Amino acid sequence: MKAQIDKLLSVVADYFPMVVRKPAPRFVTERGNRVYGLVAEFTETPKVFHAAEHVRDAGYSKWDVHTPFPIHDIETAMGIKTTRLPLMAGGAAIAGVATGALLQWGTTAILFPQVVQGKPYDAWQAFLPITFELGILFTAFMCIFGMLALNGLPRFHHPLFSHARFCHASNDTFVIAIEAEDPNFDPVKTRELLEKIGGTHIALIEDEN
Amino acid sequence: MTQIAANHPAPAATALQDTEWDARLARIAADKRMSKDNTTLEPGALGGVMKMFLGVGVLGLIVTLIGGFAINPYHALAAYEVGVFTALAMALGGLFFVMVFHSLNAGWSITLRRQFENVAWMVRWVWVMMIPIVLIEILTKGMLFDWLDPSKVAESHLLQVKEPYLNATFFGVRFLIYGLVWITLSTKLIGWSMKADETGDRSLGRKARFWSGFGIPCFALTTAFASFDFLMSLDYRFFSTMWGVMYFASAALVSTAVVTLIASRLLARGKLVGLVHEEHFHDLGKLMFTFTVFWGYIGFSQYFLIWYSNIPEETAWYLFRQQNGWQWLFVVMTIGHFVVPFLMLVWRKTKRSPKLLSMVAIYVIIITAFDMVWIIRPMAYLNAGPDAVDPGFASWNVFLDIAGVVGVLGIFGAILTWKIGRSNLLPIKDPMLHEAMSHKNYV
Repeated sequence: MKAQIDKLLSVVADYFPMVVRKPAPRFVTERGNRVYGLVAEFTETPKVFHAAEHVRDAGYSKWDVHTPFPIHDIETAMGIKTTRLPLMAGGAAIAGVATGALLQWGTTAILFPQVVQGKPYDAWQAFLPITFELGILFTAFMCIFGMLALNGLPRFHHPLFSHARFCHASNDTFVIAIEAEDPNFDPVKTRELLEKIGGTHIALIEDEN
Repeated sequence: MTQIAANHPAPAATALQDTEWDARLARIAADKRMSKDNTTLEPGALGGVMKMFLGVGVLGLIVTLIGGFAINPYHALAAYEVGVFTALAMALGGLFFVMVFHSLNAGWSITLRRQFENVAWMVRWVWVMMIPIVLIEILTKGMLFDWLDPSKVAESHLLQVKEPYLNATFFGVRFLIYGLVWITLSTKLIGWSMKADETGDRSLGRKARFWSGFGIPCFALTTAFASFDFLMSLDYRFFSTMWGVMYFASAALVSTAVVTLIASRLLARGKLVGLVHEEHFHDLGKLMFTFTVFWGYIGFSQYFLIWYSNIPEETAWYLFRQQNGWQWLFVVMTIGHFVVPFLMLVWRKTKRSPKLLSMVAIYVIIITAFDMVWIIRPMAYLNAGPDAVDPGFASWNVFLDIAGVVGVLGIFGAILTWKIGRSNLLPIKDPMLHEAMSHKNYV
């Protein structure tokens, strides 16, 4: 529970640093900056693909692979689970349909009955278009904002950009970044793992406080 | 000119060279999934299935025929029509998808295209099954078509106004045109596909694409007008510009269901392993979902405008189907044809499982038959008078409805099964086959 509250506070602190202070980091550098994580570079697609499999098998969950182009099946190599977004969108759809149906039925059939075109007060046919549209609207909003909430976008800055070599990830280099927030993260062991799976230019990324 | 051409040669052709083409076909043929065992059925493998379909079909048609003479010819003809127009929807939908795949150069569907082609090929036999309807209607002077009855035309101003379109001669001519268009398109497209199986000639695919281009508008017009002539004219007072689109929606929906069923049955027999997999079923499921929603959207739009404007000549059609014991059909259409398939197909798991999806496919075929019941059956009741035919399916006479539908669909299934067994189960020399093999949905 405390971990989840910390996580939430950390997200809020990213956007409103004047309101909330970020929880104390697990790892700090000698200068006192929080540690974002470790990055390692790879030069070939198959290598980074198999490296990703190793990281996945080592049990890491908060990490990412940065590539200049899409790699097929990298999501299985990384062990990314299916998104929860469809369920959230489904819930929003039900909420939208319920809102549309109840608002119209409640107002025109019960609260303020009114004859429109000689139709019955509770003519479901007339409610359907708006019910449908509200269902679509709520679903679309949930898809967009749920997606943004789940992937943490938009954001002004990312700690990885402070690493000068990281810009090669959009050109000719593959980068694996393991975050310090991962429960399995250990400055020594994680570095050893990255070395073992063939990563080069392994570097510790500092987050500027 | 020659000088210029020599100095500025055309840029190297971006299309595949013939050698590359042959190399690609050789690569595809060398794939171990393309073994003869996997891509063809042994002769007679489907004999049992075919005999079952044939038995059921012949029995159903005989029962319908006897019922027509012994009980009520209106009822029997309506039951037969329900079956024929369900079958026509299947075949026309198949034809539509074959042309769409050709004209869009679709990659994912190549391993399924032969099955769509087989379903489209059936259009000739459905057309043959429509001949008795046309003959009976014309010879009996409008058993279910009021507008073919001269005595009714004489006393109805509306029928006189509509006579230039709704008359026996023009009806016959249009029926021949529909047959010509459908049979020509299906024969050409499927013939080239079969020929490409043997020769691997690269001009055939291009020809098919060219023909699909103008084939789709021809298909659209003939389908729409056929549905006007045979289904909307059952009640000559009614008119809806959405009618053709409604029938097209049913066609696209039910043909996808039929192909899903064929593909899952072939997989169960150990054919097309690795060639048709869950990704293809996912897409078939998406198409089924699409056309369920499309059908619902079009159907509701048509109903909604008529309901709101409340003009008697339009509302009569719906009003008649909401009373006289037909009320339950309205619920079957709204809940059964839209809500239930929507909720079943909205789940990703249903779409990706051949077993679950083929169960949905059977349901979709049944509910499409109910769609035709909703359009056709009440008219038999109206034309034959309340005493002659039961409203709804209240009495034991319902066996006639079942016999008509099962009879026609049985014959359809028998011929389709025979056709499936006669050729390769996929176009084996299609240059984009590798795309379909490695097809993957990233959603």
